[in-house]
Amino acid sequence: MQDKAQVDAFSGCHPILNFFYFGVVLVFTMFNQHPVFLGVSYAGALAYSVLLLGWRKTLKHSFLMTLPGLLIVAFLNPMFNHYGVTMLYYIESSGNWVTLEALVYGIVLGAVMFVVIQWFSCYNKIMTSDKFIYLFGRIIPALSLILSMALRFVPRFINQLHIIRNGQKSMGRDTANGNILQRARHGLNILSILVTWALENAIQTSDSMQSRGYGLRGRTAFSIYRFTKRDKILGVIMTGLFALIVTGCARGAVFAQYDPRILLAGFTIQGKNAPVECSTAFALLTYLAFGIFCFIPVILDMAEAKSLERSRKNIGQDIGVTYRQIYEETEREGL
Amino acid sequence: MNIIEVKDFSFSYPDQRKEALVHASMEIQEGTLNVICGRSGCGKSTLLRQMKSVLAPHGVSSGSILFKGKALNKVDHRMQSSEIGYVMQNPDNQIVTDKVWHELAFGLESLGYDTEDIRLRVAEMASYFGIHQWFYKSVEELSGGQKQLLNLASVMAMHPSLLILDEPTSQLDPIAASDFLATVRKINRDIGTTVIITEHRLQDIIPYADKVFVMDKGSVFLEGTPREVGQKLKAEDRGIYLSMPEPVQIYGEIDNDLPCPLTVSEGRIWISNYLEAKKKSGAVQAENPEHGDSMPESKEDEKQKTLKSGKNSLCAIELKDVWFRYEKDSPDVIRNLSLKVDNGEFYALVGGNGTGKSTTLSLVSRVRQPYRGRIYLDGRDIRSFRDKELYNGYLGVLPQDPQSIFLKKTVLEDLYSVIGGRKNKKSPEYPIDMKKEKAIEGIVSLTKLEELLERHPYDLSGGEQQRLALAKVLLLRPRILLLDEPTKGMDAEYKQELGKILNKLQQHGMTVFMISHDVEFVAEYADRVGLFFEGNVITSKETRAFFAGNNFYTTAANRMARQFFPDAVTGKDVVSCLKKLS
Repeated sequence: MQDKAQVDAFSGCHPILNFFYFGVVLVFTMFNQHPVFLGVSYAGALAYSVLLLGWRKTLKHSFLMTLPGLLIVAFLNPMFNHYGVTMLYYIESSGNWVTLEALVYGIVLGAVMFVVIQWFSCYNKIMTSDKFIYLFGRIIPALSLILSMALRFVPRFINQLHIIRNGQKSMGRDTANGNILQRARHGLNILSILVTWALENAIQTSDSMQSRGYGLRGRTAFSIYRFTKRDKILGVIMTGLFALIVTGCARGAVFAQYDPRILLAGFTIQGKNAPVECSTAFALLTYLAFGIFCFIPVILDMAEAKSLERSRKNIGQDIGVTYRQIYEETEREGL
Repeated sequence: MNIIEVKDFSFSYPDQRKEALVHASMEIQEGTLNVICGRSGCGKSTLLRQMKSVLAPHGVSSGSILFKGKALNKVDHRMQSSEIGYVMQNPDNQIVTDKVWHELAFGLESLGYDTEDIRLRVAEMASYFGIHQWFYKSVEELSGGQKQLLNLASVMAMHPSLLILDEPTSQLDPIAASDFLATVRKINRDIGTTVIITEHRLQDIIPYADKVFVMDKGSVFLEGTPREVGQKLKAEDRGIYLSMPEPVQIYGEIDNDLPCPLTVSEGRIWISNYLEAKKKSGAVQAENPEHGDSMPESKEDEKQKTLKSGKNSLCAIELKDVWFRYEKDSPDVIRNLSLKVDNGEFYALVGGNGTGKSTTLSLVSRVRQPYRGRIYLDGRDIRSFRDKELYNGYLGVLPQDPQSIFLKKTVLEDLYSVIGGRKNKKSPEYPIDMKKEKAIEGIVSLTKLEELLERHPYDLSGGEQQRLALAKVLLLRPRILLLDEPTKGMDAEYKQELGKILNKLQQHGMTVFMISHDVEFVAEYADRVGLFFEGNVITSKETRAFFAGNNFYTTAANRMARQFFPDAVTGKDVVSCLKKLS
């Protein structure tokens, strides 16, 4: 659907599905502190990010930008919070204990942040402005036009700013020329030129809108997206998984507590179980469902690649077979 | 059947005594291609805007306009929106949304079509106009020509029966402009949409017009087929002639009874017929017309002499092995460019779009800096100048878009703002003793702005805006003037005025460096021309030698007459050659 070759199989699906996917994944990552759940989410985000951005970029992002953040959070939490039952180390200067619970909680918090950022790098690639505008247009049609106009206007404004600055620069009146006072004045002048220009030229834009019937009753909102059969199937699968995840969570499959002691659903830690009715098996099922959900784009992409490969193979065979038949037939007829 | 009829229509803007339209009448037949021409301010645009109610300016009007036999103001907004398409001058301002597909659908959304219908119509339009390749693109990524084509397509998507175009190509480069006009012709021919168009570039559209209307002072004073108009105009005044295609202009200057030529090829046939007729009547002596060196010499020779005598002195602008690219890993835009512009010379750089002409200009004006190579002004490295030195009294740059330097509410205030306000005290911008009023007075009379001093800069016409911008630049008393496409979107008369101003400045020793697409303008006024291609100057010659040597990249007059007078470059040259024969 995009001009610059399709990003991946999932980006070609209907925007509603895209939005639903990222909504679920992000919400369940943000409001969960269960390590297994986070781990699953991270695996999904990492795989998808590698698919979209490639190994190199993904790793660069993780190690340079997000990993330091994770470490800082993980380190700071035990410095300032001293709850918990498992003492690890006594800091004499402040008279406080560093506890295992606070340390683990810090790491979990950092991880949440880390994973969410990872997801957003995928989100930016998939949810283009077109899709965003389309989704909002479904809710409030007028808003979609305004958004679209704003997206048109902003780059134009910036472009014109460059032109004006170059014009002023070549008269020695850019914001880089002169002393501070002069610079400020030049800056104001540039702004004033820009605003006048914008207002004057907006009149023509409004003429153009009116002359194409803007303001008539019953305006519709056109979109280039279609809800295909594949979208329907995918939608059903995603909803089913979503229902399973929600039930699991409601029954406590992702219960996690770090204060005063660490309690995790599905695990026995220091001889204690989490106070939830959910069985370990059901918790595992929930994790599995979430895992599948997170991996949908990757699965989809792989399936597509596979079927493409197969169809390519088939084309060769089919034609080969067909032609052989034709030759044989003509030969027979010739005889 | 007449699709639109203007009957005895008069109109005046509020608070203005002079009527913009005076008893104008016009009948447009369905399915025809109509061209309205006339000088700037003759009321063309005002008349066109009256043909669509939402665009009609406020004011007092009398007379009537009928659309398909029904009074236009009785035709409702919905009907007018879909039936009357209107494309304006500026490609950027007309685009409303951020994506090509959305822009195409905009009108249909307004009319309330459902998604399936819009999808079909948009697909149809995209295929017809060849837009499908950039269908999903952002509008920002398109070139000027593509933008205007998109405007046309998104109007055509509403299936209008009447298409009005108000100087649609004035902001486009020549190639994009003739492509656009070719598309307009195609629409008229293939779909039968009635077209009314006003244009500066008449040579691309007039030969194909069914009817031409010539307007002056708010009324239509001449109408007919292009040939008829060309013939009739001969008897009229010359002012409007300037905007006619070159062959028609030349035809008008020469006393003859042959039919009026409209295109270059017709012009060629016309010249040969004309010469034949002359030969028969015995007016031409045995002189061989192939020998074209009987050219007007006086002015040209003088210029060359002064140039040659000035050769010893330093070059005003010199570029030595200059390289430039925008980003670290982007391709080179300027490649090993070396160029010399002599003192007091009018140098023009011509060449296609995106070859790096404008970039060269920005290097010379120090807006950008080359990563390799040197630029000298009067033998001094450009980097050694201080800002105040360079931009006050040395370099003047006229930007392509004059609006980008307008600051104040009136023309007069705007002029004062350049030299630091009305107060008579010396400042870096104004270090000389002359009274500021005097300086402004001088510039104003040079650039012919006297009548416009109290107007808002944005209310001026394109040509007037350009002159105001020029005046502002000149107030800083530059010795070297750099011009970026100064004739873009201007009609023939303004070009002539601008040319005269530039020549006058040159006589006072100013060096002029111009980049332009306008071959005719360059041929008429420049001393030396360089052809720019792929980041470098391919050739740099005296104007006449340059154009006489080129086959394609040359003026219409030269293409028309080169068989007979190879050295005749401008229309005037051809006329004087022809006159000399008789």
